[in-house]
Amino acid sequence: MDLTVAYGAYAALEGVTFALEKGSRVALIGPNGAGKSSLLRTISRLLKPKQGVLYLDGRDLQKVPLGEISRSIAVVPQDTAIDFDFSVEEVVAMGRYPHLQRFQQEGRKDREIIAAAMQLTGIAHLASRSAVNLSGGERQRVVIARALAQEPEVLLLDEPTANLDLNYQVEFLELAHTLNREKNVTIIAAIHDLNLAAQFFDTFILLNEGKILALGRPEEVLTPQNIRTAYGMEAVVQRNPLHGKLQLTVMKGNGSSTGEGRAPAGITVHVIGGGEEAVPLLDALLQAGFRPSIGPLTQEDSGHRFAGYHNLKVITLPPFSPVTDVYHTRHLELIREADVVLVPPVPFGPGNLRNLEAVEETLCPDRLVALLEETPVAARDYCEGKAQLLYARLQEKGAKVFTEIKELLAFLGRLQERGGKAK
Amino acid sequence: MAHGWQRRLFLLALLLLLFFAVVYSLGLGAVSLNRREIFYILLERLTGSVPPDVAISATSRDIILNIRLPRVLQAALVGASLAVAGATLQGLFRNPLADPYIIGVSSGAALGATVAIVSGLALGFGGFGAVPLLAFAGGLLSIGLVYQLSRQGNSVPIMTLLLAGIAVSAFLSALVSLLIFFSGERMHQVVFWMMGGLGGARWGYLRVMLPYVLLGCGTIYFFYRELNALLLGEDTAHTLGIDPERLKKIFLVAASLLVSAAVSTSGIIGFVGLVVPHIVRLLAGPEHRFLLPASALTGAIMLIGADTLARTVIAPAELPVGIITALLGAPFFLYLLRQRKKIRYF
Repeated sequence: MDLTVAYGAYAALEGVTFALEKGSRVALIGPNGAGKSSLLRTISRLLKPKQGVLYLDGRDLQKVPLGEISRSIAVVPQDTAIDFDFSVEEVVAMGRYPHLQRFQQEGRKDREIIAAAMQLTGIAHLASRSAVNLSGGERQRVVIARALAQEPEVLLLDEPTANLDLNYQVEFLELAHTLNREKNVTIIAAIHDLNLAAQFFDTFILLNEGKILALGRPEEVLTPQNIRTAYGMEAVVQRNPLHGKLQLTVMKGNGSSTGEGRAPAGITVHVIGGGEEAVPLLDALLQAGFRPSIGPLTQEDSGHRFAGYHNLKVITLPPFSPVTDVYHTRHLELIREADVVLVPPVPFGPGNLRNLEAVEETLCPDRLVALLEETPVAARDYCEGKAQLLYARLQEKGAKVFTEIKELLAFLGRLQERGGKAK
Repeated sequence: MAHGWQRRLFLLALLLLLFFAVVYSLGLGAVSLNRREIFYILLERLTGSVPPDVAISATSRDIILNIRLPRVLQAALVGASLAVAGATLQGLFRNPLADPYIIGVSSGAALGATVAIVSGLALGFGGFGAVPLLAFAGGLLSIGLVYQLSRQGNSVPIMTLLLAGIAVSAFLSALVSLLIFFSGERMHQVVFWMMGGLGGARWGYLRVMLPYVLLGCGTIYFFYRELNALLLGEDTAHTLGIDPERLKKIFLVAASLLVSAAVSTSGIIGFVGLVVPHIVRLLAGPEHRFLLPASALTGAIMLIGADTLARTVIAPAELPVGIITALLGAPFFLYLLRQRKKIRYF
């Protein structure tokens, strides 16, 4: 199926042209008022384009009889309110109306389709319940089941997840995905949540002020520039480490840290090492108004990303590289600028042990060293006890040990009150 | 579908009840007749002969065939028409509080009837006097006016239709009051007409009414699925392949025909069209394939019962039937509303 929309001076949409392949999963995104719903309503023929033509399988949609359209296009609207006391099964059965002749009763096949639709949406047990007394999520699934009972080739979803709990949002989009995969149903959904969209859709149409701003694969559409144009905000686009789909993170305010705007802390803090384990400490430091610098990290490191996002000073290592002499020297310089050196509970291996050694090399009475031991170092020593040994030596030479971030922050606070310097 | 047999059984029970209501009410009245005699009178009427040993008095035959039977049948037709029109409009407006008169048919008909009564117009057409003719015309004209007033291009928003109906009704009612104010000794007649009554029933009315009632009910039933879908909202109906604007016109015309036919022959009988569909919906849900016939039967039974009371409680005088329907209907309706949770049987 080729869908071509080309229509002119419609108030909500202007000069929109695109073609979609049968079986694609299309996410319509864009800010409120961009024309997502208008586009959907035009496809389902609730709105008439002022200019231009919309083709379904090469036929002018406006000229296809309404009954025929309802056999190939089903809609799950935004508002799913049901005011009358129909039973759930009766509502779902209405999905068969387009397929029935006048006065023809539902046959065995119809009843099977109705039952299958209820099964698939997990509402079979509600069949004889009144549709009025359902929760929002249940009612949404009833409406979806009705759309499924229509056996459509194209399923239009208008903000399908808006009223659903988080678990049902994912469940529902998975359901749409399954239909798409197994029955080659084309899915076109207006959707607000860009991250959910990136997870489940393969084609994106980004609408802005009634025009198509970008169209194509998620990688082509979800770019920081497009997001800035459409939504007027900065965003970072990354691959989610778990499912590998694109993920958008909104930059706070003008893109700098939370701590900015507060009085700059009187003491400089340096944090050794990165990784997932360092992030909670870095975040807590930012919240408390510190702007820590961070030790040598590769670009893929969570700590490095955190530093980039919050615009913190960081030493960047080439990918998969150990701390070579050049970087080690730079690290020593950076540490010497700091009043306090913090070691978060990161795992130590041959790749980053040298950072710990740097702490020992730069020990001096003016600089305080704090070891955060939320987990004991023995549990994260991957270099045959060398890290444990270094920890012991550091402690011996005056490094303080904390078991909680809270405790550490309280200590830093007291330090600040005493005039900033460690001693 | 589920509950199918229960619903069929319910319809069958209503049909039986209707039959008994007809037979029972034929026997009641100022002159009491025994059921045997009624049976033979009907048998004679239907087959043209009775067993030779049965004697039927001419008076009884006249009372049954020319007075009570047309009256009972007219009550049934009017009751069914009002109930079906009520069910349809409640569905169309997606509002269970809509009644057949909500879109101005009653006040239009009332104006027509009042004009006829006050002017003493000696108009006649096909056995009809001026009152039913002008009432019928007034009813249809007013709904036409309401429709035109609320039309916006090609579509008629339901809310506008409702408000236009209320405004036009108020305006026409004011005209009726004005006419009544200047009507002098005919005032009584107008007020009595407006309270509704089946005292004027005759075969001629029935013959003329029947095609409208069959056409109206038939059309509405023909589109019962569309009515179901419209209950879920116009957009949803649209996506199920239904053109809401076209259906609105069809349902409005059909319902107006039903109501105009009822009002022109029997005056404004309140409450049947509001309460009956509601009762049936409370008992068995809003699915119109079932709701429409069940409402028709229940409306017929209810109005036969009310009319029988109206003509027997203070016999030989009679009460306007509208008073009975409201007196009995309103409390029963309230009772059902309060019991709502418990009484949805199937």
